[in-house]
Amino acid sequence: MSSSQLDRELKKGSAELLILSLIEDRQRHGYEIGQLIHLRSRGALRFNVASLYPLLYRLEKRGWIRGRWIEKAGQRRRRFYRLTPAGRKVLVAQRDGWRDFVEAIGRITGVKYA
Amino acid sequence: MRDFKKEIRARLADAKLSPTRENEIVEELSQHLEDQFDEAVSRGASEDEAHRVALVDLAELLGRELQRSDRRLPSNPVLPGARRQSNFIADALQDIRYALRMFAKSPAFTAIAVVALALGIGANTAIFSVVDAVLLRPLPFKNPNQLVIVWENATHLGFPKNTPSPANFLDWRQQSTVFEGMAAFAERSFNLTGMGEPERLDGRRVSANLFDLLGVRPIVGRTFVPEEDKPGTKVAILNEALWQRRFGGNPAVVGQAITLNGESYTVVGVVRSTMKLPSFANWRDQVWVPLAFSPEEANSRGDHFLEVIARMKPGITLVSAQAEMETIMARLAQQYPVYNTRIGALVRPLHEEIVGDIKPALLVLLGAVVFVLLIACANVANLLLARAAVRQKEIALRLALGADRSRLTRQLLAESVILSLLGAAVGLVFAFTGLNVLTHFVPPEVMQPDAIAINSKVLVFTLAVAIVTGLLFGIAPATQASHFNLNDTLKEGGRDSGAGARGKRLRSSLVIAEVAVSFILLIGAGLLINSFMHLRNLDPGFRADHLLTLNVDLSEVKYPDVPRRTAFFDEVIRRVRELPGVQSVAAAGNLPFTYNGDSMGIAAEGIPDPPSDQWPDVIYRTIGPGYFNTMGIPLLRGRDFTDQDTLDNTLGVVISEKTAKHYWPNEDPIGKRLKPGATTSKSPWRTVIGVAKDVRQNDFIAEPKMQMYFSFRQVQSMTANALIVRTTVDPLTLASPVRNAIWSVDKDQPVSNVNSMEHIVARAVARQRFSMLLLAIFAALALVLAAVGIYGVMSYSVAQQTREIGIRIALGAKRSDVLAMTVKNGLKLVGVGLVVGVIVAFALTRVMSSLLFGISATDPLTFISIAMVLFGVALLASYIPALRATKIDPMLALRAQ
Repeated sequence: MSSSQLDRELKKGSAELLILSLIEDRQRHGYEIGQLIHLRSRGALRFNVASLYPLLYRLEKRGWIRGRWIEKAGQRRRRFYRLTPAGRKVLVAQRDGWRDFVEAIGRITGVKYA
Repeated sequence: MRDFKKEIRARLADAKLSPTRENEIVEELSQHLEDQFDEAVSRGASEDEAHRVALVDLAELLGRELQRSDRRLPSNPVLPGARRQSNFIADALQDIRYALRMFAKSPAFTAIAVVALALGIGANTAIFSVVDAVLLRPLPFKNPNQLVIVWENATHLGFPKNTPSPANFLDWRQQSTVFEGMAAFAERSFNLTGMGEPERLDGRRVSANLFDLLGVRPIVGRTFVPEEDKPGTKVAILNEALWQRRFGGNPAVVGQAITLNGESYTVVGVVRSTMKLPSFANWRDQVWVPLAFSPEEANSRGDHFLEVIARMKPGITLVSAQAEMETIMARLAQQYPVYNTRIGALVRPLHEEIVGDIKPALLVLLGAVVFVLLIACANVANLLLARAAVRQKEIALRLALGADRSRLTRQLLAESVILSLLGAAVGLVFAFTGLNVLTHFVPPEVMQPDAIAINSKVLVFTLAVAIVTGLLFGIAPATQASHFNLNDTLKEGGRDSGAGARGKRLRSSLVIAEVAVSFILLIGAGLLINSFMHLRNLDPGFRADHLLTLNVDLSEVKYPDVPRRTAFFDEVIRRVRELPGVQSVAAAGNLPFTYNGDSMGIAAEGIPDPPSDQWPDVIYRTIGPGYFNTMGIPLLRGRDFTDQDTLDNTLGVVISEKTAKHYWPNEDPIGKRLKPGATTSKSPWRTVIGVAKDVRQNDFIAEPKMQMYFSFRQVQSMTANALIVRTTVDPLTLASPVRNAIWSVDKDQPVSNVNSMEHIVARAVARQRFSMLLLAIFAALALVLAAVGIYGVMSYSVAQQTREIGIRIALGAKRSDVLAMTVKNGLKLVGVGLVVGVIVAFALTRVMSSLLFGISATDPLTFISIAMVLFGVALLASYIPALRATKIDPMLALRAQ
């Protein structure tokens, strides 16, 4: 498996978790989500239009997140996504799973994570 | 700021999203790109550069990533600036445009589907217009549902619907309370003379109140008044057609005198040509005169010749009317036991009396065309299923882009309904052409051909059939297409998963259903064809070929007695005999299959009269010398009448074989004597001079009844009214010379119904021929459609198995094994279909019993031979694709993946 392929697989596996985490406390629109992933990963992760939105739509279809068109004073109408109760459960489960996974990797590779 | 919406929309175009969804995505993505653009510019990028970067992201939009997503539309999507309702119409319009585009892309598929549907729908439209004209259209009378026909019920004598006698009718009219009114009528023909070419007209004697009872208003003049219903009143009412034809539609005809049967009648009114009364034969009323019973007639209970029509009072049911009439008849039986013992009354709705005979045949035909349509539906459903498999990639893409599954199902259904509407449009053309042909085969006594037309009711029917049809054949493919597993499909890289178990099962059941339904239709047609063969092989008792027949009704005024009638016929026969091409010629009474009346009870000398309720009826015909020879009726014993058999000599009678067997089973009947009525009647004895072979007189299907023949030279009250000419050439070529010969004797003598005897015989079985022909056409249609269906499914399945077959061949399977395997798969389905068909046909063909003759509804020979035909066709339909399977090149097949 080439490094770019690995990269893609990892990204795909974690992308759902990233999005769910980012809207855990407040609703955000798609561009904001993309920006936050880029910023908080310090540029390591980047989603473009073609990868971010299909993912959002899929999560919405599964009933984990819910998008709504909201208009704020002085701003354009935007589609904001928020976590649904079902999504919240998934987030908890995925977070646990991810933690276990990272710890397992760490134990094998000796990489310590803060 | 740049506008990205156009770019995004262009990339979404192929995805066929709903407008709502598409707008939403365009809106959301364009905002994203604009934000991205703004940010890049704010960081110092040039606008062009920022634009290019944003578009790089977009370039992938329709790539794998978006396809992989599968999401559902929110149940209540918010669309900026648009309301939900307008989207429904937008969606529908989009569906139509999209469907038409899809059809244009695959013209072969569209053509096959449209033609199959057009055949099915067209057949339904055509038959429905006949059903509409015959069964559904109300009779042209006021409140026709209240009208009934009242019969005497003499079931024990073989006449469940006997024509009432005048005295019984008058008692009914006086004693009944359930009817608003009751009227009687009797057939009577008229010779119209004194104004150009003489003409014979069908007509009736009718009770004066008949027109009021029916609610028929005159176009000009008036109808009869009660005072005119007495002997000696010479008034007449004409129908519109006669009025237009002979009087130029001139209203001044009212009050004018015309000559009917040599007597002067005053025309009092004209009524519409739609005024039609039920009739024995092919009787088309053009003239009506008052019934006007003579005193003898009014007292007669033994002379049965009336038909009685009545209008039930509002709120009176058929059952209560029937009950009252039975009470009255029971009373009359006590009062007049000689005539009315065991005679009841039968009250029947007028409409059923008129259409009753044709109804079962039409219903069977209607069932048949529904079956044809079902087969067409199965075919198109199969085509759609095969196409759905091919279209799965497209559908997957649309689902991935957020198309709603129910929305997608709706769109697929819209496609099939539009397909079916196209089929209906072409079907209407088929139906229109078909009806033109059909009307030529419609027996005229069944209905007026011009009554059949594609009217608005038929159009609505066709539209409804088309929509139901579209939903019917579309529902399976549509639900199947939109319910496959998206992930699996995409994982398989767009390979067809329609060959999956579900799709295969569906296609197989469609083939089974097709085979079963076409088997039922073929059985129906086979039974009818078989019984028609039986019918045509029946011996009518005479030779119908090379026989010309004409009606020559002598006027009672001009030819009142036997000598004058004899002289007329003698002279006509002498002149006709000299015409080239004429072999023999004779005067005749009512010809076979043209008249159902004229029968009487007889007494045989030395045999005690039977009880009055068991007195058998003997059909009698008045004929001239040479009749048996000319008709080709073999004389089994004795001799024919000759010119010497006159009133001055011994009165003779020729009886039929059956009559001879009944009265003199073990003796030679020649020289025995019989007379009309009872032994005590005043009629003179007649000596049996000959025994003729039985002839089917009234009904082609029924067994011949007892018959006897009198010479018109030896009866005062009855005369011959026809001429029969045996020819050595095509009989119709002599029509004109014979007519001229008659007019050279009496230029005022009307000649009518010039026909070949073969035509009369054909007309007697016209109804059977009509049903048989139509059902045979529909069955052939069903067979072709079923064959195409089986062929299609087998071809598709061979195409699906290309790889498997290729591997088998590569591994050394013999081509003959491949052939056998493939054919076997097809025949398995056909076998199941046949079994289902046989079971259903066994149950269904029973409804046809009344249409069959000389054959049982479950005739094993028909069942076996039809099964073999269908099996053979199915074998061929599977063999051709199977043969193709054996030609598969294993290397190509394996590389195809």
